[in-house]
Amino acid sequence: MKQWLLRLEPIIWLLFGQGILLGTLLLTGWILVVGLAIPLGLVPAEALSYERAHALASSLVGKLVLLALCALPLWKGAHHIRSLAIDFGGAERDTAVAGCLYLIAIVGSLLAIAAVVRL
Amino acid sequence: MSGSKKTFVITRFDPDRDEAPRQQSYEIEVDPRWKVLDALNHIKDEVDPSLSHRWSCRMAVCGSCGMMVDGKPSLTCKDSLADHGDTVEVAPLANFPVVRDLVVELEGFLDKLKQVKPWIIRAKERAVEEGTHRQSPAEHQEFKQFSMCINCMLCYSACPVVANEPDFLGPAAIALGHRYNLDSRDEGDHERQEVFRGEGSVFSCSYANECSEVCPKNVDPAAAVNQAKFRAVIDWATSFVVPRGGEG
Amino acid sequence: MGRPAHPDAMKSSRPSPTRMAPPQMPSEYPMGGRYRAYTLFDATGFVYLLVGLLGVRVVWALGDGPVAWAQLQSELQNPLYVGFHLLALLSVLFVGVRFFRLFPKAQPPRIGPAKPPPQPVILGGLYAAWLGVTLLMAAILSGGLL
Repeated sequence: MKQWLLRLEPIIWLLFGQGILLGTLLLTGWILVVGLAIPLGLVPAEALSYERAHALASSLVGKLVLLALCALPLWKGAHHIRSLAIDFGGAERDTAVAGCLYLIAIVGSLLAIAAVVRL
Repeated sequence: MSGSKKTFVITRFDPDRDEAPRQQSYEIEVDPRWKVLDALNHIKDEVDPSLSHRWSCRMAVCGSCGMMVDGKPSLTCKDSLADHGDTVEVAPLANFPVVRDLVVELEGFLDKLKQVKPWIIRAKERAVEEGTHRQSPAEHQEFKQFSMCINCMLCYSACPVVANEPDFLGPAAIALGHRYNLDSRDEGDHERQEVFRGEGSVFSCSYANECSEVCPKNVDPAAAVNQAKFRAVIDWATSFVVPRGGEG
Repeated sequence: MGRPAHPDAMKSSRPSPTRMAPPQMPSEYPMGGRYRAYTLFDATGFVYLLVGLLGVRVVWALGDGPVAWAQLQSELQNPLYVGFHLLALLSVLFVGVRFFRLFPKAQPPRIGPAKPPPQPVILGGLYAAWLGVTLLMAAILSGGLL
């Protein structure tokens, strides 16, 4: 398992890095509008009425953006929580912790793919 | 120059007598122009000859006088007393086993240095008649910064990964390996990739950047480690296109 | 003095002739001095993980149809969600500022024959992209564009 992790490290790091880079680029506006402005009534909810939201999201670009925005932050999250666990003395349990965290990221990414495919 | 008094709280450890490290205070008259090392030498020479600490060149070249000063890794010959308060805490470098007082164990660091093969590796040695390996100033510039390391180990003391993951190669060793990977005369990239992606993986680094913050020679080991990750990813990606051993 | 480091940190591969004191971590670790920003940077991992999972839920609800979508939109008005999104906004801003500062120097001086642009140009480009993508995203989502 540890050897597996070592072998997969480049691809994990790549996904993690994109989670920070693309994740941060895409999430800022997403959180501002979907998470804050619309729920707080600063932007009328009709802006993301079902029809408009579905039309935006089901285009190819929309699907790719949503996939990146959902899946990549999972990898940034999993990898950073793993590093936090090591920083607080969990090096001995790293293989198990990393396995669980990356499993969450893999399942979450598959769900994200399913979610955009069924739009 | 009139002197002033400062108190030095120094971590002491005598393996023959002390169960665990303890602290001892020395109040001494200091010259404001002194470095921290000057004060330690004064204590050793005039107050308490039993104090053990390493030093040699006194000009930030030999890299042997690294210690924790007021909780931060510091090259004591470069660290002015004027930058510290009336009480100065001096302890051995963090993250290292302590041999005695302010002297730490170096062997673990040397083991890591050796692992990255810090020498020029050639696929085939060039015969003497063929002349020297030429290198342009631009090619030299690509790695020069990473060759300025004096092995003072401050970066190992600052690194949270070194503290928690004993296998990690660590900042200075990776910077040195990366320095040879960037050298136009070197052909050992693939050999070092195995080391960089092995048990001491460069990917263990979580980019705290503390190594670069404390480096007294502006080597910027954090840049080296993260550039090494980039290269490892490129190496990994191209390994699908160009089979290993199919090159050169 | 700090907490003890891993007992094998910087240990020699050969047995030592004398007894040694175990390695200690820097006393400022993990929440003092500059370490605080680093520890918080790692800790934003929890926020990113939740934001990603929440994103999956949002897209899933959109796929479920108008009723599920309306239900999710009213759910997002819950103060707990709003509070979390406020924390998430602070997190992405913090991550962006810290990471974009560290990103340029992590580029190798040369990849094959290709050289990356000078570091200030990369940093400027990152901020321009961040601002541009955020404005574009906000304009589209709030109905100002498309």
